Amino acid sequence: MIAFLKYLRGYVRIRVWGFSPERFMNLCSNRNILLWDIQKDGDVYEMYISLKGFFSLRPIVRKTGTRVAVLKRCGLPFFLPKVRARKFFVLGLMVAVIFWFWTSLYVWEISLSGNYSITEDVFHDFLKEQDIFVGMSKGKVDIEELEKQIRRQFDQVTWTSAKLEGTKLRIVIKENENLQYEVKEDTEKYIYGSDLVAQADGLIVSMIVRSGVPQVTIGQEILTGDVLVAGNVPVNNEDGTVRKYQYVRSDADIYVQRKLSVREVLPIEYTDRVYTGRTTSHTYVGSGEKGLELSTKKVTYPYYDTLIEKKDIQLLKGLTLPLFWGKITYREYLNVEKRRGEEDAKKLLEIKYSEILSSLDEKGVQIIEKDVKIDRDNIHWILEGEFTVIQRIGIEQPGTVEQIVGTMMK
Amino acid sequence: MRKNSPKIKRKIFDKETLTQSLKLPGDVMMGALVVTMTGNREAWIENYRGILEYTDSVILLQGKTCQICFQGKKLSIDYYTNEDMKISGYISSVTYL
Repeated sequence: MIAFLKYLRGYVRIRVWGFSPERFMNLCSNRNILLWDIQKDGDVYEMYISLKGFFSLRPIVRKTGTRVAVLKRCGLPFFLPKVRARKFFVLGLMVAVIFWFWTSLYVWEISLSGNYSITEDVFHDFLKEQDIFVGMSKGKVDIEELEKQIRRQFDQVTWTSAKLEGTKLRIVIKENENLQYEVKEDTEKYIYGSDLVAQADGLIVSMIVRSGVPQVTIGQEILTGDVLVAGNVPVNNEDGTVRKYQYVRSDADIYVQRKLSVREVLPIEYTDRVYTGRTTSHTYVGSGEKGLELSTKKVTYPYYDTLIEKKDIQLLKGLTLPLFWGKITYREYLNVEKRRGEEDAKKLLEIKYSEILSSLDEKGVQIIEKDVKIDRDNIHWILEGEFTVIQRIGIEQPGTVEQIVGTMMK
Repeated sequence: MRKNSPKIKRKIFDKETLTQSLKLPGDVMMGALVVTMTGNREAWIENYRGILEYTDSVILLQGKTCQICFQGKKLSIDYYTNEDMKISGYISSVTYL
């Protein structure tokens, strides 16, 4: 603080020599002139003196027979005239500071962490809906409302925190790991319980019903749309008539055996892109979705595809400008007509076949018999066949209200 | 005679006795030197009249009643005002003359 005041008032480093510098210092202190950093260098003394003090030195110097020379000038009073000579520098500095300040009023980056099941794309779409985007004014971000909306929109989010760190909007969420929330959400939907309905035809090979009334038995052929387990459990009177229904959510493991046909087709003749290796690259700059090529040359290739590489411009960590630059590359290619040979086709079809198998495996479908062959007609290679599979069926559907048939009890 | 009598009285109640009996601070009343030192590196001095000698091995100050001499190496005066001053360096001895 004192150093700053000294700077503001200005001070000089002086060299004092002559008859009696000690007396010079004593007189200075008597007249309340501050001296500091007094150092003796041979016969001469060097010291700092305030600017005001320096101007009242003349009588002291005359009295003590010393001589004074200025070595260095420090402080604002010496700095200002220099500044005045550099108007445009100062102007530029001020513009830079104002620009800096102005840009710091906007959100330049949005970061999301803690998301497992919600993808960043989904979240960014949600933010767009909430009118929260990169480049918006910081003052318009309603943090509390945003947090509330996140919790409302995503049921699995149990905790959210959004905060502005500089120009970065940091959103941290916590998701519920066990998906209990579905039950809560569905209570209204399944007010009258739920039925299990077949989504495929087949022969029932195994069934375990945990809740609900089974409507089918093992060994029975079922069709798509059949009710497998009903969610309305009748409560009977003594005489066997239904008194009322209790509605439960059906739950059962029902497996059916069914035929599943597969068919993959591969055309024998096809056009292939053969890159000629000729490419043209232009610098590409832009903001947001829009970009501009920094070139006037036209691309002359008859067929080409384009490849755009973008890099965001980041000034500092946490301060990203909504600008990008990069490269746009045009790659020439030729369409070449090709015929697929048997080995080539078999290899491709086998890849597709194993993809089918693994996707069935993922769905929990058990294959007990395969009958698949590769064949060809005039224009296609065909992989055709039939699996015999055992798979779990049953989709939950909201139950219906059952009217009680019969007379009211008296 | 009348003129002389207060003088005799003042001598009896001289300053030192007065300060001691009233327990007033000595530096204020007597103009005694106040020296505060931290180790042998720094010293703050108050109540002095002026500098008599200043080299990097000896600093001699004039007090009201006595002189004080700091001896050492690389002595320098950090600041010097009417009220107080600060000496820094390697002080080896402080002598009252």
